[in-house]
Amino acid sequence: MIDIINKIDSFFIFNSNFGPREGDELKRILYFYPGQVNSDIQKTQVGLCEAVVKFMTTFSSAPCEALQTQSKRYIFYQPERNFWMVLVICIPYATKLPGDIKDAVEPAIMYDFMISSYKMFRMFMGLFREILPEDTYAICEKFFTPYISSRNIRNDLSNVIQGINYLPLEKNTFFKVICFIDLLEVNYPDFKCISFLYNDQLIWNGLCKDDMLTLYQYLIHNLLPKQVEKEIQGGAVTAAERHGRFISPPEGIHSEDDLKKIIKVYLIREDDNEAKAYYLVIYRTLSATVSFTVDENTNLDLSTFRSLDTFIGPKLSTIASSIGEQCTMHALVNAQITPTDHKFLYFNKLNLALKTSMPSNSLNPSTAVSPEVLNIIAEVHNDHKSLGKYGEIIIKTPDEYWITGKSSNDREFYVVMQKNANLKEIADEVKRICEMQMKGIFFYPM
Amino acid sequence: MASTSKDNMQNICSHDNPEKDLEPGASHDSILNPTDSFEEFATEMNSSLEGRATDVTKKSSTISEIQSEIGECSKALKETKSSENLLNKDEAISSSVSNSNLQEQNGDDTESELDDYLKSPELVNKEKHVFILSSAGKPIYTRYGNEDKLAGLCGVIQALVSVVEEQNRDILRSIITKDCKAVFLVKGPLILVGMSKSNESETQLVLQLTYAFNQIVSVLTLTQLNRIFEQRRNYDLRRLLSGAERLIDNLLIFMEKDPAFLLGAVRCLPLPEKVRENITSAIISTCHKIRDLVFAILIAGNQLITLVRMKKYTLHPSDIHLLFNLVRSSESFKTAESWTPICLPKFDATGFLHGHVSYISEDCQACLLLLTVQRDAFYPLSQAKHTIADKLRRSYCLTAINDALNRNKDLTTTNPLKHIGIPEIRHFMYKCKSTAQLFTSDPISLDRLQDYRQRHKEGGDVVKKKVEKLSDMDYVRNYREFCSKIHCARSPAKLIFRSNSEDTILAWITNGFELYVTFDPLMEKDLAIRAVDRLLRWIKNEEKRIFIMNAPTF
Repeated sequence: MIDIINKIDSFFIFNSNFGPREGDELKRILYFYPGQVNSDIQKTQVGLCEAVVKFMTTFSSAPCEALQTQSKRYIFYQPERNFWMVLVICIPYATKLPGDIKDAVEPAIMYDFMISSYKMFRMFMGLFREILPEDTYAICEKFFTPYISSRNIRNDLSNVIQGINYLPLEKNTFFKVICFIDLLEVNYPDFKCISFLYNDQLIWNGLCKDDMLTLYQYLIHNLLPKQVEKEIQGGAVTAAERHGRFISPPEGIHSEDDLKKIIKVYLIREDDNEAKAYYLVIYRTLSATVSFTVDENTNLDLSTFRSLDTFIGPKLSTIASSIGEQCTMHALVNAQITPTDHKFLYFNKLNLALKTSMPSNSLNPSTAVSPEVLNIIAEVHNDHKSLGKYGEIIIKTPDEYWITGKSSNDREFYVVMQKNANLKEIADEVKRICEMQMKGIFFYPM
Repeated sequence: MASTSKDNMQNICSHDNPEKDLEPGASHDSILNPTDSFEEFATEMNSSLEGRATDVTKKSSTISEIQSEIGECSKALKETKSSENLLNKDEAISSSVSNSNLQEQNGDDTESELDDYLKSPELVNKEKHVFILSSAGKPIYTRYGNEDKLAGLCGVIQALVSVVEEQNRDILRSIITKDCKAVFLVKGPLILVGMSKSNESETQLVLQLTYAFNQIVSVLTLTQLNRIFEQRRNYDLRRLLSGAERLIDNLLIFMEKDPAFLLGAVRCLPLPEKVRENITSAIISTCHKIRDLVFAILIAGNQLITLVRMKKYTLHPSDIHLLFNLVRSSESFKTAESWTPICLPKFDATGFLHGHVSYISEDCQACLLLLTVQRDAFYPLSQAKHTIADKLRRSYCLTAINDALNRNKDLTTTNPLKHIGIPEIRHFMYKCKSTAQLFTSDPISLDRLQDYRQRHKEGGDVVKKKVEKLSDMDYVRNYREFCSKIHCARSPAKLIFRSNSEDTILAWITNGFELYVTFDPLMEKDLAIRAVDRLLRWIKNEEKRIFIMNAPTF
């Protein structure tokens, strides 16, 4: 487990144009975590970052990405012009001390953490530049403080690459899901972009892939865990009594007042050029979760939601049970395959599909993969050049780990093994795993 | 064949117990100090802010140790140049550059001027900039352009460094953008900055800056450098470094092209074992009576022919690289015997050795360096040189050296790939760790290095071109990433095999050696294993020719 909170030295957002004059430096700081840090230190930190950003513009047209000091790494991200997010993490420079390696975090993972925090912000709060400057401080505070404390990154393969866990279904069941979605769209034309999840696995996606990833992360990290907890506490009877319910807002939609609580999200839909605001509605029955977006100009009406509830409820619970049955069957079949101690990870850049050998739920954290190995995978994943369109890399570490990475047409496949073998044997083994786990997906070179 | 590949399988997989015979070039005695430059880097970079100040000065002087050993302790080495005299009186104003106010440094005037100059054709779009300044922010060296016009930039760099030190109690190491790495190194009273758009890693860049620092030390000695800035924080060091700029220029090119720097190893001129023995014994028999002689080094074309040393003392590869650079950069050595003070920073950064430097003869481009602690030994050494030259000529050693230098087609080492006979191997580079020596399939010849700049008209500009046929330098460029991955402090590797549509590269590190091989694209693993096996056997076969396997002393 990487303890994010302890790794983060500080995290801040600034815009130098917000307090251009001397003495106004504090105004440039839109957000600073931890908040209790003395304002002089805040100013120094931001001042240093401003200077560094400016310094590098004389040599490079690309924006500044990182500043490394002896004990810390400052990771920079400029999501919108002049808005800079800086994440400062404690990573000592170029050490070989084993103690430090133990809890080292690959900077690339932290960079992804920061980018996804911005994407989440943009989805729920909109673009920085479209928020009134005087409101920005409060909005950032309201969003980022809970975000940072709620998020943790586990030292586990599924966190090295941010992707979506898809649920493969047998075709009849899949067809039922599609029919259900089509029927919904026809009957309720205002409710668009329908996405369908079962537990934490995605079955159907109605958004563009970037937005889907953010929404997916919001659902599985924030919204759903709370609901699941509630379901467990509420007991089986109440859950069975009701076929389903709206879970956003979390208390459901029962009155006109609840309609006002429906949250808005900023999305880029298929035909749009820029993000627009939509209402986000989420409905859940058993383990199935469905989300829709509604244009913000639509007049929300309680009766529509009531009729939607009666429409979806029974249908969704039937589908959910049949998916459930299939998952149980599938689990039984899988249990008969002798488990290998090899770990693998598959990622497809085009649909962000992620599949790993490891249980990716938070109840079952895996500690088997060492941070060095994760670092190597993160490095290979982030190095887009060296493998090119087709390529393969095999790396052996001093403690006898063999890491194989394959890349083929935007698909990536990684296998981690720990054994005493030679290059050829490892390559053969990887080929076997690839054929077994990724049946039908072609990797070249073989 | 079957047994060969089996051996090799074991070999590629077992690192704890590598077969003795497949560690070509290994030797118990080494003329070179095989300290791994990466290890060294790691220790150096672990230093805390507080530890750094003491670090630079604590080393004891090897030179005085030698002098006391040969009974001259009373006559302790005095520096030839007294630094006091060199400090000009008009430098008295000790206006220390304001370092606390970064905003001020970022002020509009300097900034816009700075921008204008930095955008001028002299400076824009260079692949790698190197700036050296004093800790007071005074420019000392720039690789491109005129350092006088870079006072503003140096002020900003100095301010950045000191803000991180003073306000954060930390050390500034690097700043990265997508296409550019800026690396900072504070060494003694100097700040060195590298700005690179090439594929070198931060570690590799820091090593290059350390070399540049050592080049300055080699001209001044560390003692003098420190003393100057203790007395005048604001001193303009360029007064003392005239001439050294060219050395740094050349060193920077040298480092970018020659894998010897990448691996921290020295390249030897391949010679028949017998010839090298003859050369060595000619030097020993001539010089063994010269008491103060510490090292006698014969080099040719950035390659070592032999090195004879005083007992107990070895040279570090980086000191030899500085000697290569000195010889390569100084045309004057070709015309006359020279007597010159040389400080070898790894050997003893505090004092000068005195060197008799001369080419062995007009028809042989080998250069003999005789390094002594004696300040007035020119004549005895000059005499020794002539005796050695005569002996070498009589024993046909000069012909052998010339053959090797001209890459005579009959020599197996001239075109090793043809001799090994594995067509899939395009290039390789091998380092024997215990002796810190390297061998590559295509030795970069002196001439090609020297006029590299002229041939590539771009003069260090960033160029994007589609390469038709890779030159040896391009292979080395490719190896950089592998080298840094395999030595990466955070997650080191033992073996990397990467195959893509361009090529297949294998990097392999064992207790005894480092090997980097480029194969054809999409190379099969078992073929690669077999090829590496044959390659190692070939090197083993030729080891006495391509490496110096003993460590002769006077």
